Amino acid sequence: MSRSAYGLRFVSAKTADEQRLYFIHAVTLLSILGLACVLRGFALNALGYNSDEAVYSGQAAAIAQDPILSEFFPIFRAHPLLFQFSLSLIYKFGVSDLAGRLLSAAVGVVTVYFCYRIGALLYGEKAGYLAALFLAIMPYHVIVTRQVLLDGPMTLFSTLTLYLVACYALTQRPLWLYASGVGMGLTFLAKETGILFVVSIFVFLALSPQIQIRIRDLALALAAMALTMAPFPLTLWLARGGGVSTSRQYLIWQFFRRPNHDWSFYFTTAAPAIGLALILFACLGLWVLRRKSSWRETLLLSWIVVPFLYFQLWPTKGYQYLLPLAPPIALLAARTMAGWLPGDDLQVRTRRLKGVSPSLLATGIVALSLLIPTWQSIYPSSSIEFLAGSGGVPGGRASGEWILSNTPEGTTLMTLGPSMSNLLQFYGHRRALGLSVSPNPLYRNPAYLPIANPDLQIRLGEIQYLVWDVYSAARSSFFADKLLEYAQKYNGRVVHVETVTVMSPNGIPISEPVIIIYQVQP
Amino acid sequence: MLWALVGCLGATPGTTQPRATDLKSQSATPVEHLIVLMQQNHTYDNYFGTYPRGDGFPEGLCVPVNPAHPEGDCIQPFHLGADRVADLDHSYETFLLQFNEGQMDGFVQALNEKQQDGSLAMGYYDDRDIPYYWNLADEYVLFDRFFSSAPGGSIWNRMFWIAGVPGNAANRIPEDGFRDLQTIFDQLQARGISWKFYINHYDPNLNYRALGGIDFLDPQIQWVPLLAFDRFIDDPELSSHIVNLDEYFLDLQNGTLPAVSYILALGATEHPLSSLAIGQQFVKKLIQALMQSDAWDHSAFLITYDDWGGWYDHVPPPQVDAYGYGFRVPALLISPYAKRGYVDSTPYDFTSILKFIQENWGLEPLSERSANANGIQAAFDFTSPPREPRIIPWERACGETGTCADPAPPRFGVIYGMYGTALLLGLILFGWMFTAADVEGYRKDRHER
Repeated sequence: MSRSAYGLRFVSAKTADEQRLYFIHAVTLLSILGLACVLRGFALNALGYNSDEAVYSGQAAAIAQDPILSEFFPIFRAHPLLFQFSLSLIYKFGVSDLAGRLLSAAVGVVTVYFCYRIGALLYGEKAGYLAALFLAIMPYHVIVTRQVLLDGPMTLFSTLTLYLVACYALTQRPLWLYASGVGMGLTFLAKETGILFVVSIFVFLALSPQIQIRIRDLALALAAMALTMAPFPLTLWLARGGGVSTSRQYLIWQFFRRPNHDWSFYFTTAAPAIGLALILFACLGLWVLRRKSSWRETLLLSWIVVPFLYFQLWPTKGYQYLLPLAPPIALLAARTMAGWLPGDDLQVRTRRLKGVSPSLLATGIVALSLLIPTWQSIYPSSSIEFLAGSGGVPGGRASGEWILSNTPEGTTLMTLGPSMSNLLQFYGHRRALGLSVSPNPLYRNPAYLPIANPDLQIRLGEIQYLVWDVYSAARSSFFADKLLEYAQKYNGRVVHVETVTVMSPNGIPISEPVIIIYQVQP
Repeated sequence: MLWALVGCLGATPGTTQPRATDLKSQSATPVEHLIVLMQQNHTYDNYFGTYPRGDGFPEGLCVPVNPAHPEGDCIQPFHLGADRVADLDHSYETFLLQFNEGQMDGFVQALNEKQQDGSLAMGYYDDRDIPYYWNLADEYVLFDRFFSSAPGGSIWNRMFWIAGVPGNAANRIPEDGFRDLQTIFDQLQARGISWKFYINHYDPNLNYRALGGIDFLDPQIQWVPLLAFDRFIDDPELSSHIVNLDEYFLDLQNGTLPAVSYILALGATEHPLSSLAIGQQFVKKLIQALMQSDAWDHSAFLITYDDWGGWYDHVPPPQVDAYGYGFRVPALLISPYAKRGYVDSTPYDFTSILKFIQENWGLEPLSERSANANGIQAAFDFTSPPREPRIIPWERACGETGTCADPAPPRFGVIYGMYGTALLLGLILFGWMFTAADVEGYRKDRHER
């Protein structure tokens, strides 16, 4: 059988057996992608946005020239705008939080497909399916790609680049290297930290002497990358809107900001979300199959180690930052499973499946260990604990909608911090200022406005409502107390309470207030 | 435990404020609550002479220092800025000189004759000084033919405001008060229509009986004519309606705002030398509280000024009777039914407020002046649903009437061009990846390299 491009394989199949085989391939792949869709689409919009989602959707709305949201969300903040721009094309027809999440989920599903392509290319069809399956049901990837975050698109393009680099390593055709440059550029345009994978590529090339590369080709690939990345700096310079100054301030802020999590953060949050069993099998395969090791594992490990070391050393940590590591880890684990399952095509495997092999059992265990926490994480539930990047904020959307319906246009709110401000601005269409935003530019995100003198602004009637929320209060009791002091001092009257139902320690459902809105009257 | 946060400030958790109101709607229009704030001592031209719409300063205006020699020195309008200006003379004599039998050219000379700097009369304020009022004018109704009722100071005009008559010929409170003179509040009380007179920093012990023979009048007594009526002092049924301003905010919160409210902003009246900023902040607070309440949908808030304060105005006031009109004063109407950004040029005076109250709540005219006045209905649009409340910002917006620098909008073409190209490139890359065939041949020998 001649194996041409994937899309052409079915039509070029000559015999009934070949057609049947490709039908099985198609069903398997579509089943995995269908599962990926279900897990990313189920109850997708049950909870409203979190702060970052509100910001990126707000930026998309500003690019789409939405007259209301463009007042609150400047186009240029810290990151490049490829995803926000793509979303803005949808927002031209109306702003919707569901649309943003659907686009993000679609990006996640396409990434699953690329994972299959890489697995099939490097280790065979079976490994491709397993890698795609692991990524499709991995809690980490599912959770993040159900949100409007930039890490999902960055992972899509980094995975694409990984595929292109693998193609170059296999074929040694320079065209693949140039395409890798474009892929790298797109990775950067999705999120600027994607630039780290340039280091991954160089590490890979340095550790894989069997991969030949000409300086001229490398230079052309770098040029392709630079050209693809060009929209970021060029729009900052040419499109007005304060982009250059905001980006400069953002850089300064990033250098001076305090660490937000300790060194163990990724080990305790990202690793369990990726799947401890999956990581274990990925590592196990590297040891057990070490005699079969080649540049393939070097490539995947470069894709994992470089960004991990960077984010581990960088003081600012975020739950979703390690997402691009998920596909290569899934690929390594799939390699382990595929290595234990002899045979190279589905026909052979189908015969073997009649008996339960240890490797099949291991695959099932890993899959279950991923699927159960994934299902638990996507099933709508309420909690008064919140980790940024891990999902929507219970009560946030409802509070914003209450504000939209019950406060005059032009109202200004004071929240505990910028996270709740972003949410309320997106859903409430009202200016919201965070009390905790530092007046010192070295210690604040330049996109946020500080309240220079909260007392004065309340007394002058410039701030009309105060918003307390349990999530921000858990992070800073100082500002929570301060806000309540203002509420007390300026005749604060509770006008709205948003509650969520949570389980008490003795298992009884109780209603807990999560967001309280005070109207102040100086 | 979290519920304690809710409870500690005394509210009902999980609910919005009750919309209940005890007031039975008896009004002929959707306006069930009329609130009138009377400030002090400015003319239309002094506040809105340079406002881009409405009847402001005429082109090339220059008022002669001596009207007898119009070809001599003259003073053009000039921006006053932040410098405080002393109270300009605004007696009846000064009015006559400034009016100059309708020539409107005696403003400088009249003050000069009172040993004041007459050129000050030509000073004006604009959106650098009163941005909030200009923003209100942009959004709601500005009256450019709203005349003070009488060519004198506060007493006459404020008496017209509550009773439709000057009170007496002397423009001062009689030693025995205004006795049996009927006011709009007597009529409202008799009909069982709710009313209140809110006073900022109200001192219930201060009324006309405290004059003690001295000529100087405390502002509360001068500017609240009801405190010169024995029955409004002694009758608990009536005096209980004269209250401190705190009750305004409580009434808004509790849904008990009366049908007719008069407000005196003691300490924030904008009377020279007072700060205009403090006056605007006070007004902003009142209006925002109204907008945040359930009363907004059925309310109208009128701001006006009791007399011209000696400042220049170029429109000769019609003389409808022996007492007036006086010169134009600034006036603004804020209401969900107010026409948007509308300049109402219908001639009004303070009795137009009485006329509206009488027509809206079915009362008899208090006086011939109020019977003949125009009501302010022309400023409303009752055919459209009430407008949603909108907090009017302090800062001046960039726009037709703004003086601020309009920041250049982003170049969306650049963003779309650049990122659109990148997105297209990505799609091409995807497509190429799907059709490229050369890598597939390498899959079988994957362990050989």
